[in-house]
Amino acid sequence: MKTALITGASGGLGRVFAIEAAQRGYDLVLTDMDAASLETFRQGLKRQFDIRVTAEVCDVTSADDVARLFEVLHGKGIRLNMLYNVAGVDFEGGFLDMDCEQVLDIVRVNIEGTMRVLHAALHQRDAGSRFTVVMVSSLASLYPIPLKATYAASKRFLLDFATSLSQELSGLNVSILTLCPGGLPTTPGALQGINAQGFWGRATTNSLTVVARRTTDRALKGRHLYIPGVVNRLFSLCGALIPRELLARLLFLRWSQARQGRPAGEKLVG
Amino acid sequence: MKTVVVTGATSGIGFAVAQAMLALGWRVLLVGHTLENGEKALGALCNAFPQGEMACFSGDLMQQREVHRVADELNAYLALHAQGRLEALVNNAGAVRTWYTTTQEGLEQQFALNHLAGFLLTHRLMPALRLGGGRMMLTSSASHKHCRVHFDDIMYRRRRYSALGAYKQSKLCNVMFAAAFNRRYAAEGLRAYAVDPGLVATDIGFKQTGGLVKLVWALRKAQGVPAERPARTFAALCAGEPEPAGLYWYDGHVARHDPHADRTADQDRLFALSEKLCGIASFGGNV
Repeated sequence: MKTALITGASGGLGRVFAIEAAQRGYDLVLTDMDAASLETFRQGLKRQFDIRVTAEVCDVTSADDVARLFEVLHGKGIRLNMLYNVAGVDFEGGFLDMDCEQVLDIVRVNIEGTMRVLHAALHQRDAGSRFTVVMVSSLASLYPIPLKATYAASKRFLLDFATSLSQELSGLNVSILTLCPGGLPTTPGALQGINAQGFWGRATTNSLTVVARRTTDRALKGRHLYIPGVVNRLFSLCGALIPRELLARLLFLRWSQARQGRPAGEKLVG
Repeated sequence: MKTVVVTGATSGIGFAVAQAMLALGWRVLLVGHTLENGEKALGALCNAFPQGEMACFSGDLMQQREVHRVADELNAYLALHAQGRLEALVNNAGAVRTWYTTTQEGLEQQFALNHLAGFLLTHRLMPALRLGGGRMMLTSSASHKHCRVHFDDIMYRRRRYSALGAYKQSKLCNVMFAAAFNRRYAAEGLRAYAVDPGLVATDIGFKQTGGLVKLVWALRKAQGVPAERPARTFAALCAGEPEPAGLYWYDGHVARHDPHADRTADQDRLFALSEKLCGIASFGGNV
């Protein structure tokens, strides 16, 4: 029996990855911060799929929480075949609009938490077979994005880190795919954001089921990068061709329009 | 005094049904998505019917946790004010989604709200409906015709998501649930109807949707009748004596529904699946 661990599992994207893995017959280990919604989702999955589902409340930024999670897995003899690193956070507003702790939370959850879980998961992997990792980065990782500076840079960290680590671990039968999605229709807030960006919001938005399926397909095939959607792939080319400073200026214009009317400090992901 | 519970009662068809039932002198329990909208609707109804008995409850019914909480509150209210009796339940809350989205249980949202929420709420109110010899109505739609329930992929996980396809399927589920309900409970004096409201000028196509759905609905809405029109049909089904016959109603009369909905094997399959997805051991039995 194969097992997949999913962080940020009770959020919109975490849920579709869990469902995707469940459809492929994986047993699941789900973690998230909120006990009630995690339990709700665990129960929902148990009613839909004939698989083993373990749910543990875990703040990925807490060393104690992550240690306890892996003690539980160790105690139950659960070895991992797959890891979806979904847990992530972003807040609305520019650097100075945000509380400093919010800025640091982005770094702590998106980078520190991801490293912590990945490190522990690699030690808990099923050594007899291939171990597959999906890192949820973002289209934002491909450009410098004013007003989303911390978030974009944190996602850039994941992309560069995963590219290097893939090579480092290639001899160990571990493969890492970085997912760089544009907008995803996960929450009412995200939907509002997509609609607020008008045509381009819709053009860069991808279906959750398609993204979950193709991400998993590609990851299992040993691919390293997946940017869903033709428009997004074209954008990513621009990211490579246009000087970064000019890009930053263009994106600043776009985001200052798109975010009008949204309160600073509002939690956007996670 | 007789009591009716109406979900999705703060706007559109549900609000018009609440008005119509207050006009008939019934006690109306409104269920809305948010408390804010509920109080707004309650305020408007209080002005129109100063003597009317009404109360509002709120919850996001696509989340099963919320259905259970609202059901607890409704049952407590009915026990206190109506000797635990409920004469009518109008499962009207519904939504359209442009994209595939899931509830906290990991269920596709249109299926979860348009079908499962009504199924679960009816289950939870069965004791009160039994005491009241109650009637249960579902807001279906003519769009249920010419489609079928894809049991192998009912929540659009393998197929390309279609906002209209998921909507049509959920509305077919409404007709099938009503039919299955009658087969099981007609002998106990309970009765279910699926109502085709026709094309009504509500805001359903504007809520949390985008792009094409909004545009299409803006054009469709302009052709729609006011919500008072279907509300008359609901009122006749709630209060009509003797008990109205038929399963599928449109504009005050029995209309033709899609024969797919009559397949009892499919009805039972949907019923069993819905029980499983709602964690119900036995419909109408213990929680």
